[in-house]
Amino acid sequence: MSVLVIAPLLVAVTAAVLTLALGRRPRVQRATSVAGVVGYVGVVSAAVWALVLGPAAPGAAVYQVGGWPAPFGITLVLDGLSAFMLTIAAGVGVASILFSVRYVTPVNQRVYYHPLFHMLLVGVTGSFLTGDLFNLFVWFEVMLIVSYVFVAFYGTDHATAASFRYLVMNVFGSALMLVAVGGLYATTGTLNMADMARRLATPEAYGIDPAPVVGLSALLLAVFALKAGLVPFQLWVPAAYAAAPTPITAMFAGVTKKVGMYAIVRLYFTVFAAATVPVDLPGITAASPLGFLAPTLGAMGAASVLVGGFGAVGQDRLGGLFAYSSIGQVGFIAVPVAVAAAADPAGTLRGVAVAAALVFALHHALAKGLLFLSAAAVEDATNTDRLRDLGGIAGRSPVLSGAVFVGLLSLIGLPPLTGFFGKFLAFDAAVRGLASGPGALSALALVALLLGAVLTILYATRVWVGGFWGRETTAVETATVESGQVAVVAALAATVVLVGVGFDPIYRFAETAATAALDGEGYVDVVGLNGGDGA
Amino acid sequence: MSAALAVAVGGLFAVGTFLLLQRDVIRVVFGVAVVSQATFVYLIAMGGIDEGTRDLVPVLEVHGGGVPEVADPVVQALVLTAIVISFGTTALALVLSYRAYEENETMDVTEWT
Repeated sequence: MSVLVIAPLLVAVTAAVLTLALGRRPRVQRATSVAGVVGYVGVVSAAVWALVLGPAAPGAAVYQVGGWPAPFGITLVLDGLSAFMLTIAAGVGVASILFSVRYVTPVNQRVYYHPLFHMLLVGVTGSFLTGDLFNLFVWFEVMLIVSYVFVAFYGTDHATAASFRYLVMNVFGSALMLVAVGGLYATTGTLNMADMARRLATPEAYGIDPAPVVGLSALLLAVFALKAGLVPFQLWVPAAYAAAPTPITAMFAGVTKKVGMYAIVRLYFTVFAAATVPVDLPGITAASPLGFLAPTLGAMGAASVLVGGFGAVGQDRLGGLFAYSSIGQVGFIAVPVAVAAAADPAGTLRGVAVAAALVFALHHALAKGLLFLSAAAVEDATNTDRLRDLGGIAGRSPVLSGAVFVGLLSLIGLPPLTGFFGKFLAFDAAVRGLASGPGALSALALVALLLGAVLTILYATRVWVGGFWGRETTAVETATVESGQVAVVAALAATVVLVGVGFDPIYRFAETAATAALDGEGYVDVVGLNGGDGA
Repeated sequence: MSAALAVAVGGLFAVGTFLLLQRDVIRVVFGVAVVSQATFVYLIAMGGIDEGTRDLVPVLEVHGGGVPEVADPVVQALVLTAIVISFGTTALALVLSYRAYEENETMDVTEWT
């Protein structure tokens, strides 16, 4: 039991309440909001250091909400995987809020911008920490309801239509998730993830038949893929990203999308991996739900890489281009996860592949956060984000352009930037997956990744040549970029470089996270299911 | 009883899906509501719909002694939570659809920008 586990949630909730109460005093509200996110970064760092990474850290800790012992109460768990994801959320969050203060007009900030921002953090944090399946559903809803409002924030025809479509898709997704949660409860007799993992590992001891778990977990996969924006559930992404305030889009791309990927990794590798269930579908025969995950997620990831890549190449607006790009990049996260699912549980490949996915998630959060914020800075200065109206920004604002350059190179994957390691490890995992289990699908996934990498170079070059090089267009000539915005973007660019240069500790952190994700038994031990006489 | 519930869940899902695929925005909102109701009925059914006995509370049966003869309270708590969330989401959907109608000047979602 450690209060540090729940501390990030408490800080975010407190900040949401305070910023709501301070709506009449805009300056104080803004200061409180920034202080709230800085405090969030502080407690996340403290919790991660004290509980996961530090020399005296136990590696993982648990908080039983209300003192109810697991599996009866709601359990919050901070282990390596949660710690890694929380760190990403804190990093993107602080950049996003600092940028928001200088970007969103004061009138718009006074409406519910800051409380909503903190509620978004609450939803994300809860999703990363919870150890209870139904509670995960609730945190998803917290995150989603805030997202609907943010997509509709500007209230234009585009924004309201995008928000409505986003809402309908996600409500249907939530209904499917409830069906899966209810089914898993009926099958395993518990909602606590650790308890579920334990029961699935030894179904005979608990008198349960784990056969339905394959189908129910497939429903969950569809829901999480919808949240992550994987093909074929990517339809909401471009419109929603274009409609939301751009600093929030950076949060959507950097953090909320990762919640979907996190949930896939957490549930499949920590919980469902323990189950031995024969899967017999056309083309898929395996002995556990992971056998179903591998080809399905691999195909979805490969398709996302291609749809995102081709979509981005054809876009004229910076926002739309980066939105499609992030569909493709999530594919780059999904493919290593699929490789891990196909890998031999006893071998090292599984851990390596999950770590690769996590590193790519970090890279994508940093680089895409940087690029979305830069696009916002450009649009703020020039009143357009159409590539055909832009040009020559490099001469007008070298610092902003330098930061964008770093972001684009990281996206392409040039050493020593973060993106190089992300892409290198993703390809490494895909090649090793092909070597250990040659098959048409693994080969196709590798080809898709290669094609995706080429497309990334193509659209990154388009952004640079079209927007930043060449002669200054009329829109750019008279533009002045806001120095506060540039400072945030430059700091993010510096982070991209620093994480790449000092990559070793980051990789060890990712390895810790991957180990935690794969260690279902360790997870059960940490949660300590000592409620009732089931201990 | 199980068969009746299964038919009810299936019917609600069918009606909800049909409504979700309509062009009229209000029908889509109704579809959202009906699909949510379908999952609530399903969730309740997952707790068992027979008269309360010991085996109906698996979480207590394994972890606690002296199980009372009750129906499974966990699914009811879940449904309560889900109803509240669905209420909020449906209300937001109605507000959004009105605002989107004002902005786009049509009730036909396929004609929205």
